[in-house]
Amino acid sequence: MKTSLLLIGTIFNLTGNICFANDAITVVANTQDRSILLNRQEVRHLFMGGAQHYGLHVIALPPENQTRVLFNTKVIGLTESRIQSYWAQMRFTGRKKAPKEVDTERLVIQYIKDNEGSVGYLPAGVSLPDELTVIYTGL
Amino acid sequence: MTYRIPYLLLVSSLVWLFFTPSLYAETNDKLQLSGFARVVMGYLDDKDAEYLGYDNSISVDKESLIGLQADYQILDNLAITGQLIGHTAEQRDSGIEWLYLTYTPTNSLRFKLGRQRTPFLNYSDVIDVGYAYPWATLPQQTYPRHFFSTFDGLMANYEISNSLFVMDIEGYWGYFEDDVVIAERQMKAKTDDFHGLINTIHVNNWTFRGSYHQGKTSVEIDDITQFSNLLSQIGFSESAESLATDGTTEVFQLSASYETLNYFVRAELNHIHADLVFVPETDGYFISTGYNYFPFTSYISYSKNVTEYEQPASDIPIGLSPQLDQLAYGYLAIFDQLPVDSSEAFTLGTRWDLQAGLALKGEVSLIRGKADDNAFFTFDDADFDRKALLYLLALEWVF
Repeated sequence: MKTSLLLIGTIFNLTGNICFANDAITVVANTQDRSILLNRQEVRHLFMGGAQHYGLHVIALPPENQTRVLFNTKVIGLTESRIQSYWAQMRFTGRKKAPKEVDTERLVIQYIKDNEGSVGYLPAGVSLPDELTVIYTGL
Repeated sequence: MTYRIPYLLLVSSLVWLFFTPSLYAETNDKLQLSGFARVVMGYLDDKDAEYLGYDNSISVDKESLIGLQADYQILDNLAITGQLIGHTAEQRDSGIEWLYLTYTPTNSLRFKLGRQRTPFLNYSDVIDVGYAYPWATLPQQTYPRHFFSTFDGLMANYEISNSLFVMDIEGYWGYFEDDVVIAERQMKAKTDDFHGLINTIHVNNWTFRGSYHQGKTSVEIDDITQFSNLLSQIGFSESAESLATDGTTEVFQLSASYETLNYFVRAELNHIHADLVFVPETDGYFISTGYNYFPFTSYISYSKNVTEYEQPASDIPIGLSPQLDQLAYGYLAIFDQLPVDSSEAFTLGTRWDLQAGLALKGEVSLIRGKADDNAFFTFDDADFDRKALLYLLALEWVF
């Protein structure tokens, strides 16, 4: 019984997390305008709550997630602590709200697929449904 | 006054219990409850003085507090926000800090109407949310405690965003009426036609902020007003005018910060001008740099302020008659008693991010002032050397 539970747990773990081969990040959106291509600064602004010209709303992964750590490091350029502090300042001054968080990369894909105008980050190379658009890829 | 936090906790819990089961279940995403709390323990290594209320005994009731915020989305573009704060500090009133409606007609434009925190300086509106900044306490030299309060009015915010930068332009107009402590005296203050403009630009890793604030302030100090009227009746108009209890207040502010994954540098300066007898012309600034080594950030800071009062008038002659001498000395005594709080502080500290939303900070500051100045110290012994070390340990929580 114990072995079965362990096996089930391992399988769940393997299927619940998406493995990625490199450290590249991709930003994916559900948008009708499939020509949108952002630079790093625009992605940074978007995920720090900047005004959303394309009508996009962002979602994020939880603080302990490795893809989030990679995104913070490569795109935002700030530590998790600093990002948390920033959102505390924004929330308690009524300026901006931190992005909604979903638990795993798989749920990010599902959420974006289900919600038009949503955008999130994922490991580069992950297979995506056809209806989603890659709007940024950074090494 | 430590009873305030349990009292506020009780009120907050009741509010929480009242709203959460019904509204949350009914509206789910529409109501968001959040909060912040801080426990700040301090010790001043000098038996002759107090600084921000800290003396040479360990205390936790000077800056500790709890805040609760509720945001309710009434319509897609209309929300209401309330924030309740319970302070342990005797000089800070507990109660509603924010209560405003937010109307967002477009992604880039936002209006807030109601009671809001005055956004004088970079961290003015989050001075109570210690988690939002690296230091255990914001430097008194640039963030004097008497300075921050709420206003009732309208604030508009417009954001310009492109591939190079994001610019926030904020403007507000309103009024302020409350008890304030200026020059060690508590008085009722009122500011009408209170307005300001704030511009913040984010470019790459840089953030720049510049702001200007102005209002027409009047304070109630009966003894000074009566004395000023007396001087005016006798004909000493210059002296009478120098004891003004109303006039224009202005605040100028500039700040810049640069931050990367590894380190940050932040600097801010401000200038305060008021046409009131008790408010000195003040220039303050701080510069701080820190190094990030997850989960720690260590930092050093230097802050300084220079305050200067208007010189007393000289239209009351001395040596002509004992009555005039008495009048002149009485007049000059008012100026002699004004505390000069020019000082500087060197700070060294470390922030430890225990987990998302929870941080512990340890900090030591050397505060120094000139021999004749008060330098924000309270003391009885005139020989006190205006120099002391302040140790702070702060636990910061946002939830």
